[in-house]
Amino acid sequence: MRPTFVRPTSWRGWLVLMGFVSVILAGIWPVIGWVNQAVLVAGMPKLLVWSYVVLLSCSLVMWLGNLLIGERGDD
Amino acid sequence: MTSSMPLWITIGYIAIAMVIGLVARGGRRMSSLEEWGVAGRSMGPVTLYLLIAAGSVSAYTFMGAPGWAFAKGVPVLYVVIYLGYLALVAWYFGPKVWAFGARFGHVTQASAIADRYQSPALGALAALVMSIGSIAYAVLQTIGSAYILLVMSGGAIPVWAGVLLVLSAIAIYLYVSGQRAIGKTNVFQGVLMIVVAWIIGLWSAHTATGEWSFSAVFTLVLERNPDFLVLPGGGGDMSFAFWTTSIIVSMLSFMPPVWTQWMSGTSARTIRLSATLLPTYYLVILPMIVVGFIGIYSLPGLARADTVVLEYAMAHLPAVLVGLLGAGTLAASMSSSEPFIHSVALSWSKDVLQPWFKISDARAGHLARWLIFPLMALIIAPLAIAEPGNLVMILLIGLGFASQVLPAFIGMFFWPRATAWGVMAGILSGFVVTVLLITIWPHPLGIHGGFWGLMVNLPVFLVVSRLTRPASAEVVERFFRIAAPWYQHSTVDAEKVVVRAES
Repeated sequence: MRPTFVRPTSWRGWLVLMGFVSVILAGIWPVIGWVNQAVLVAGMPKLLVWSYVVLLSCSLVMWLGNLLIGERGDD
Repeated sequence: MTSSMPLWITIGYIAIAMVIGLVARGGRRMSSLEEWGVAGRSMGPVTLYLLIAAGSVSAYTFMGAPGWAFAKGVPVLYVVIYLGYLALVAWYFGPKVWAFGARFGHVTQASAIADRYQSPALGALAALVMSIGSIAYAVLQTIGSAYILLVMSGGAIPVWAGVLLVLSAIAIYLYVSGQRAIGKTNVFQGVLMIVVAWIIGLWSAHTATGEWSFSAVFTLVLERNPDFLVLPGGGGDMSFAFWTTSIIVSMLSFMPPVWTQWMSGTSARTIRLSATLLPTYYLVILPMIVVGFIGIYSLPGLARADTVVLEYAMAHLPAVLVGLLGAGTLAASMSSSEPFIHSVALSWSKDVLQPWFKISDARAGHLARWLIFPLMALIIAPLAIAEPGNLVMILLIGLGFASQVLPAFIGMFFWPRATAWGVMAGILSGFVVTVLLITIWPHPLGIHGGFWGLMVNLPVFLVVSRLTRPASAEVVERFFRIAAPWYQHSTVDAEKVVVRAES
């Protein structure tokens, strides 16, 4: 057993990790600062629309994860 | 509001939840921790989806979140984001936790920690630290439940009576059916909540603006209070730093009931399926937030922001919808409090009392069931009747505490070199910092106190782990064969390296 931190070892694992990190970064500063405007998008506040985009993107990256590595149970 | 219909609908909900909870047992023996604690690991994807969803959608959704929208505006959306991130956490860790439980017989989070670090003392410490957050959460939900009954009864059911009524209902079906009661009632509560939230939201928007959509509400807010549509919000206190750190702290708080829920799934695949769909459920929050925004202009003199949806409904909606709102809000608070009460009782029995008094598994199972009564009667009920502090602050403190157990999970899933002493030192240092920076000097520089706790906790954890001896190689291998099966092919043995270095 290696005493270092666990990391993905395949391109699939790295892709899913990048998806997870991207969606997490999308919901916090500095990205949240870029969408922080008093503007309505489709009749809703931009920050509200963005929050739900981030939320549903979570489902999307997990679905991607299921396709790439979910069934294999590794990475 | 003079009609008694809302009260009867709300009481009717409690009666239905009681029946579902009692029937959930289905003739099974509840004497083992495996059955009472994790429902014999029998929950399929739909039940698990609604179990986790309803468990995470609390009274906050029907009271606190619209209250924040009413008082501050968009800062409330941090909840939407962190709930999405909790689904990511469930997707990655849930299947591994399930496999730990299935192979090693864990039924609680702290028992997994004790096993990984070969330290019952660490398991007990984690159980006790986590139970502070869990109890705070259960108290918060019970306050919400009692308040609903107070309002629905027009003051006839005082807070103390509401607390006793709700806790008694939960105690009975939890004792009888354990995790199966939580699963079945959460399915009912989950469906009820999302239906009620959208009916109330759309009806309120129509009543306020004449439209069956939310756009007119936000057009008005944009014209009159544009500061409510951006951070730091109407209250001016949700900085980018607090938004970000609140999300991170909440996301990293592996609350024990969630762990138990993962262990209740039929398979690892079931958990991944449920987690993938989980974010869709959080559309339940949107209509409630909208009602909070409506309240800014409809209820300008409202003294208690948390009550905005209830007050608006009672003033403007038909009695049947007020009753459904009462039932939905009660469902939200009960569906969240019961898993926390269950998990605290389970963990105190399994992880604190069992190793302390060296009792058998069977006796620990029996004890866990009985522990829910003193837990409710001596801790949760008195605190709920005293109604301490602001609802949301209690939640943040609870999550702040819970996040300090993070090193235990880093060592379980990511870092084989983590040691029991490292984890313990990290938890204790983080815990002290979090307490100080939430209660005495709240959130310095606009950064969440729990985040400051992690800033101290993690370096302490890393340094002390480096300086102390890890668990045996056999134990570390056993865990990482599940946590990171692709990460084993090195011939280097962590423990051997350390032992050689030390000798």
